[in-house]
Amino acid sequence: MNRGVEEERERIPMSQRPEWADVRPVPQDDGPNPVVPIAYTDEFSETMDYFRAVWQFRRLILDALNVDLHEELHFVDQITKDNSKNYQIWHHRRWVAEKLGTQIASKELEFTREIFSQDAKNYHAWSHRQWVLQALGGWENELAYCDELLEDDIFNNSAWNQRYFVVTRSPLLGGLEVMRDSEVAYAIKAILAKPENESPWRYLRGLYKNDVNSLVNDPRVASVCLDVLLDKRDFVHALNMVLDLLSHHHQPSNELKDAVDAVSPDPKPSDSNFAERVCSILQLVDPIRASYWRWRKTSIPAQD
Amino acid sequence: MEEQEYWDSDPESLVFDRDRHIYYLLMMYQLLPSPYQGQEINRLTLAYFVISGLDILRALDRIDKEAVINWVLSLQAHPRNDSTLEKGQFYGFHGSRSSQFQSNNNGAAILNGSHLASTYCALAILKTVGYDLSLIDSELLLKSMKDLQQPDGCFMPIHTGGETDLRFVFCAAAICSMLGNWSGMDREKAKEYIVNCQSYDGGFGLIPGSESHGGATYCAVASLKLMGFIEEDLLSKKASCHIINVPLLLDWSLQKQAQDGGFQGRANKPTDTCYAFWVGGVLRILGADTFINESALRGFLLTCQSEYGVFSKFPRLLPDLYHSYYGFCAYSLLKEPGLNSLCVELGITDVAAVGL
Repeated sequence: MNRGVEEERERIPMSQRPEWADVRPVPQDDGPNPVVPIAYTDEFSETMDYFRAVWQFRRLILDALNVDLHEELHFVDQITKDNSKNYQIWHHRRWVAEKLGTQIASKELEFTREIFSQDAKNYHAWSHRQWVLQALGGWENELAYCDELLEDDIFNNSAWNQRYFVVTRSPLLGGLEVMRDSEVAYAIKAILAKPENESPWRYLRGLYKNDVNSLVNDPRVASVCLDVLLDKRDFVHALNMVLDLLSHHHQPSNELKDAVDAVSPDPKPSDSNFAERVCSILQLVDPIRASYWRWRKTSIPAQD
Repeated sequence: MEEQEYWDSDPESLVFDRDRHIYYLLMMYQLLPSPYQGQEINRLTLAYFVISGLDILRALDRIDKEAVINWVLSLQAHPRNDSTLEKGQFYGFHGSRSSQFQSNNNGAAILNGSHLASTYCALAILKTVGYDLSLIDSELLLKSMKDLQQPDGCFMPIHTGGETDLRFVFCAAAICSMLGNWSGMDREKAKEYIVNCQSYDGGFGLIPGSESHGGATYCAVASLKLMGFIEEDLLSKKASCHIINVPLLLDWSLQKQAQDGGFQGRANKPTDTCYAFWVGGVLRILGADTFINESALRGFLLTCQSEYGVFSKFPRLLPDLYHSYYGFCAYSLLKEPGLNSLCVELGITDVAAVGL
């Protein structure tokens, strides 16, 4: 726990504090040959003796005393801010929120929003937020919130993931198929802004998760690849997408073929097969994955 | 993302410094410094990093195996007698003595703090030092572990409750595998849960709907391998796996190797030593580790190796035991000479996994 410096100086040992007088510390006995013994400072030894399984006990007490859980939530707010990557604290928070029920949904959404203002990718906070939405509701503004986060940082993969979560699971939106059209447009816009960004490419692909034929036949997909290639910058993900399309029997336009050839560092590409040419180019422009692209050549279905 | 100019680093550090790593681990074995005191509950986990680390570095002879065995076994939870056998309680291993309470004056049963993760570490350590696991009283352990499994297939870490996610599915699968007994879990249900954790981008999140993450992806793939749902060396055999989308997983995993040579845990996040094992390990299980750019990865790992000879999360940060251990694992995956090979899906060396 964080304490101010002055507090630290004035700290009175637990054993001398009247409010802890009835609590008996459980001493540690490591036995004769402990492995990885930890060099405890005196304060630590004393404090840990009192704070064992504190969260379990706390929940037992909260239940037994029928404490106002709004107060508890406020208490947890303060601790979470200093320990936002601690599993036990988030689990405790969920326990409290579950007891308080749907009335607390907007407060929980507000709380995680505050956490994200400091760390927009905090994994625990995102899990908690997803749990809140599914268990307690509050979906109304979630897509708009994703917009906000992505406007702040279009590379925020957590926000893209949340977008997918909302689009596929929100009871207010109608599901993936209904939302696909507008979301494809959204992804394409993001791609054109920053084609080197992995997230919107994965998102676009994900919109066709169980329906690859629609991916292959949606002209907008091949079209965004073409646009990026024509720009001749940051086109690695575009080439990967082209390869993906070809692997699912997409028939490339001549325009697309020309645009791909135009970005080849090799002036005289030897592969006659277009898909193989794409792989060869990827070997050169994405050399860190050269052996992968070489292997991809061997697993391309025969061109019609 | 910044490019790490690894060829600019101090030439002395361009070599994997096995001796210094061993020295560091032995120091940790003797006495962990004060900054680790916040890790109290995870003593067994820390011991696992040290002992398995020494095994990877082929320096297990430097520790007293008997002492280790006795200490680990002393952490096993036992019911006091048959009448106190409480349904729902998990009888595994505690993380440290501190979670093994003495009974209070009312005799209330706050005795059992044993935990899935510490149980995994306990068994991994015992296997590493060559202890015969058939000597362990495992019937109760496995039976009570099954009670930790949820209707959706996931696992709670401890019977009093706690977050449920893929980490604990992995622990359960590894425990069953090491004990050679799958009665401790319903594999089909666990498989269903894992499949639901695969994200739209091919990686796996810790719970269904979560963002794909290197650690979670390791837990998913290692568990499926241990449970027998993924064949050995999938890619080279051109075998297919129908329960998860392997091509997408492969593409996602390989894309996590960034331009500085290291691996990211999530898209558009910084690279970190430990993901060389979490994601590299996934690729090894799939038979796709040949697609990793080894020289780039080596270059990255060397920049994380401090003058003390151990590893940090990023280049030039202070080293820690967790990142050191996974740094050793990464070097083992890269077949660094003088290191033992890994049984990736169990998180121990092949030598330890096979048993002698």
